[in-house]
Amino acid sequence: MHLSWLDLRDFRSYEALAFEPSPGINVLVGPNGAGKTTVLEAVAYLSGLSSFRRTPDASLIRTGADGAVLRGGFQKEAGETRIEVELPAAGRRRVLVNGKRPGRLADVAAIAPVVAFLPDDLDLVKESAGIRRRYVDDLGSQLAPGYAAAVAEYEQTLRQRNALLRRDGPATDLMSLEVWDERLIAAAVALWNERVRLTLRLGPTLDAAHAAVAGPGELLAVVLSPAWGSDDERREDGEWNPERAARALRDALSARRRRELEQRTTTVGPHRDDIGLVLGRRDVRAQASQGEQRSVAVAMRVASYRLLRERHGHPPVLLLDDVFSELDLARTAAVVEMLPEGQVLVTTTREDEVPVGGRRWAVGDGKVE
Amino acid sequence: MYEPPVQRVIDELARLPGIGRKTAQRLAFHLLHVEAGDAVRLGQSIIDLRDQVRLCVRCFNVTAEEQCAICRDPRRDPTLVCVVERAQDIAVIERTQEFEGRYHVLGGSISPIEGIGPDQLRMKELVARVGNESITEVIAATNPTVEGDTTALYLARLLKPLGVTVSRLASGLPVGGDLDYADEITLGRALAGRREL
Repeated sequence: MHLSWLDLRDFRSYEALAFEPSPGINVLVGPNGAGKTTVLEAVAYLSGLSSFRRTPDASLIRTGADGAVLRGGFQKEAGETRIEVELPAAGRRRVLVNGKRPGRLADVAAIAPVVAFLPDDLDLVKESAGIRRRYVDDLGSQLAPGYAAAVAEYEQTLRQRNALLRRDGPATDLMSLEVWDERLIAAAVALWNERVRLTLRLGPTLDAAHAAVAGPGELLAVVLSPAWGSDDERREDGEWNPERAARALRDALSARRRRELEQRTTTVGPHRDDIGLVLGRRDVRAQASQGEQRSVAVAMRVASYRLLRERHGHPPVLLLDDVFSELDLARTAAVVEMLPEGQVLVTTTREDEVPVGGRRWAVGDGKVE
Repeated sequence: MYEPPVQRVIDELARLPGIGRKTAQRLAFHLLHVEAGDAVRLGQSIIDLRDQVRLCVRCFNVTAEEQCAICRDPRRDPTLVCVVERAQDIAVIERTQEFEGRYHVLGGSISPIEGIGPDQLRMKELVARVGNESITEVIAATNPTVEGDTTALYLARLLKPLGVTVSRLASGLPVGGDLDYADEITLGRALAGRREL
């Protein structure tokens, strides 16, 4: 699969851009602030319907414009899939897939998956659990629509339960709260099921990717742990067990009920879980060196790439945003090794930093040529 | 801006759901050019809609009488009540010609985000009906959304202690469809709600 064309109107600094990348490697060269990352951001937005800079949609609209439009064609063996997004300054976002509104937005993430290596990827390892939950859930959503639907269902249920607690606080109608508790538990267990299933595949892939990046050594593992204590409470004889997990969350919710009524928010559930990384016996976030952390972060992106390629039968579009200046030789080699297979968009300020061939594009003055 | 009589119609039409400024403009100019009788009939039918239509005192369906046609029909099974979110949903179920009971229109679904709790819906009225009528089964036909499912669960909590059976519409596969094309959520729900043959 590759992106065969991209059309932008009033997206960030671009008033109008038409870009037709080659199916192989594309190197976007230009000074800082020229708009290189914005092109990658647009491709990632079409694929996942959110910005990898994690900024609100309103900030994506060119200053003074009444809305932004992103359109792109992804070429697959079976033909072209066209994804179009309209972001009006006022009003709701509109998404079209091949000219039609998709049945569920959650399904879109698995249509044309991309993997992006970003300069601040080290955050994946160093920051608190939220960023790793998003990494795991985003990857799951790109792998299967069912995962995305489980995320959407849990988030909506959580928003509703929180709205109830926020509005009524200690005066919340208990029968309503209990009904929302049941719904939250069901949605939480469904999402945990997806996370556990994904982690079983991600673990070995991540460890292999890490060995490729850092050389053979200690085992790298992914550990899911609930916000209220031990993962053991969700297992039976070491095996993940949905009934026990449901019971554990029900117990945690009732133990915290008074506190939740006062704090007016939901304090346990998949949205608070930690997703840890363990290298040998050390927690990567707290106990690994900066160099080790960098290798693990690169390995996480490489693992995404490998799982998506395996799942979809073709490589995802690879976006490399100014990463070669950040990586040392060994890690660069690991990234370059997976380049020749599919389409790659690379940005750089210095062309000589990019250790690969491919088509060169000059970025600047609102143009890519 | 157009002359006030034109602009007023455009503004009013544009307030309707699903109608944007451009469509409102097109409709207004269309109305300007149709035969006078057509425009008057449209205006009168809207006035009649508000004057003559009210809610059924029993089930809150729309009706021109005190009770709706379904509640007045003696052939309808009084022991069976199908609970829907909106009056429009009744027509959808009626078209199947599979349901012989009566209805109850809740007026929406539980959604704290929008400030809608059980008290904002016609729950008390339903409880009263279960007390006063010979109802034995209540079918929750709310939408298969987070809010609709939660409303169904609430109904079950509310009504089961009163001794009635509460059931939920099954989610399943489209008839005549291919298993290959079913999405995973629908398929998952269909599996969870499978039936012995």
